[in-house]
Amino acid sequence: MAQNQRLTVVPTVTMLGVMKSRLVGATRGHALLKKKSDALTVQFRQILKNIVTTKESMGEVMKDSSFALIEAKYVAGENIKHIVLENVQNASIKVRSRQENIAGVKIPKFEYFTDGETKNDLTGLARGGQQVQQCRAAYVKAIELLVELASLQTSFLTLDEAIKTTNRRVNALENVVKPRLENTITYIKGELDELEREDFFRLKKIQGYKKREIERQLAASKQFVEEQFAEKVSLQKGISIKSAQNLLSAGEKDEDIIF
Amino acid sequence: MTFNIHGGYLEAIVRGYRAGLLTAADYNNLCQCETLDDIKMHLSATEYGPYLQNEPSPLHTTTIVEKCTLKLVDEYKHMLCQATEPLSTFLEYITYGHMIDNVVLIVTGTLHERDVQELLEKCHPLGMFDSIATLAVAQNMRELYRLVLVDTPLAPYFSECITSEDLDDMNIEIMRNTLYKAYLEDFYKFCQKLGGATAEIMSDLLAFEADRRAVNITINSIGTELTRDDRRKLYSNFGLLYPYGHEELAVCEDIDQVRGVMEKYPPYQSIFSKLSYGESQMLDKAFYEEEVKRLCLAFEQQFHYGVFFAYMRLREQEIRNLMWISECVAQNQKSRVHDSVVFIF
Repeated sequence: MAQNQRLTVVPTVTMLGVMKSRLVGATRGHALLKKKSDALTVQFRQILKNIVTTKESMGEVMKDSSFALIEAKYVAGENIKHIVLENVQNASIKVRSRQENIAGVKIPKFEYFTDGETKNDLTGLARGGQQVQQCRAAYVKAIELLVELASLQTSFLTLDEAIKTTNRRVNALENVVKPRLENTITYIKGELDELEREDFFRLKKIQGYKKREIERQLAASKQFVEEQFAEKVSLQKGISIKSAQNLLSAGEKDEDIIF
Repeated sequence: MTFNIHGGYLEAIVRGYRAGLLTAADYNNLCQCETLDDIKMHLSATEYGPYLQNEPSPLHTTTIVEKCTLKLVDEYKHMLCQATEPLSTFLEYITYGHMIDNVVLIVTGTLHERDVQELLEKCHPLGMFDSIATLAVAQNMRELYRLVLVDTPLAPYFSECITSEDLDDMNIEIMRNTLYKAYLEDFYKFCQKLGGATAEIMSDLLAFEADRRAVNITINSIGTELTRDDRRKLYSNFGLLYPYGHEELAVCEDIDQVRGVMEKYPPYQSIFSKLSYGESQMLDKAFYEEEVKRLCLAFEQQFHYGVFFAYMRLREQEIRNLMWISECVAQNQKSRVHDSVVFIF
């Protein structure tokens, strides 16, 4: 499997030390990331529950506010919508965003604030004023809920991303980095062992050679001593074995000697 | 007895139109519809048929309302063409209310720099007049008055109640209501001039309108920055509540005080007795019901112009009912349908 290859390194003892420390680092990182992932998942589930309840109440609230609009239209005339819209200069309810930190992940949160008073308290003075104000209140509530829902949904998405990334990292550490490091360590150890064995073997071989050398020399010197002794003995008898031998062996050379 | 020479044809026409108003049975049918297409189907059996036929589905509630208003405008124009003086002036008076609304809308829109064409589309069709588009050209109120409004029938209302300095600063709603007050008083005087049955019936109807506005203004201005003097300035100078009722209303600070004041006048006592303490939501519906009753009574007499006024108002109420029903059906709130439908017959 390609994933379980090892890193190509020079198999030295220093490298072994380096690999070992990296493995320790990877293990610790793996444990920490796993904890982070668990914490994020807990938050995620929480937010999901909130989103579900908010969305349900959202349906109710939107329905109520639309109905309040109809009531206003009924009493104040169809054009009330246009009258109100034309009278508006800028929005009085605005949304601010700020960052919140949940388990290390930065999440944007929206909150709304009213900016400036609406001068439209007198809308529908002659008819429908009450309904218009009620409609306004209903829609303000709807906006509150919408802003909250928006916050929740963005946090949901951001957390989702963060969880995916963290899980990816956890899995990568677990299934790729650590096995690779472990394989590298095993390889280095193996290489070192083999080097040691080679050395050992070489030593042994050299010892063998030396021994044989010594024995050979011993044998050579023994023979030399024996020959010397034999020569001495033959000289005492008047013959030089050596020279006789020499004569015999070197006969062809002398012309005088026919055989 | 010379009414029929000039007005007989149109009175007949208007009574014919009145016969085409939706009845309680129609409303019951409509209330039981499940979708807007059902409503369209039911309406095609009534007089609204030709107007709604060509609409493609999916139908929108605003389309229904638009088409019904279109029908009303067509009928009005038909009557206006055939009318002679003073009936034509009378008919025009009926639409001045809408004209005031349109003028105020365009003026506010121009103040906030909106596009003229969009504004024109949002105006009520009954309140359109020829130079309405030029309202958007004027840069401030003084020019507005000088260039445009002087030629319209609304001119006297502006000059009576507002000096040209005020036009810039005054709150739009106050301006609208002041104009409307001037319009009502003018209409009242005109009807008195016509005399006879018209004067009687129209005085009654206009008095009811003025009183209802006074009550609404009082209730809606409780708790706002409208001062008591301003409030008093917005009450009309006629009607059952004038002048003592207005004095008392001007000092009211909450709904129960208003109720206390109104219960002294028998015709309004019955309206207020329908409401429980502290509740005012149903007040508007109660007023509409009372108005419809009086409008129907106007048809009982002959030879007066009040029938035209009554017919226009009844049509408007019908359109309101239709809007309510279609919106309830569209938003799946069938249980609330009967809250606000006012049956005419």
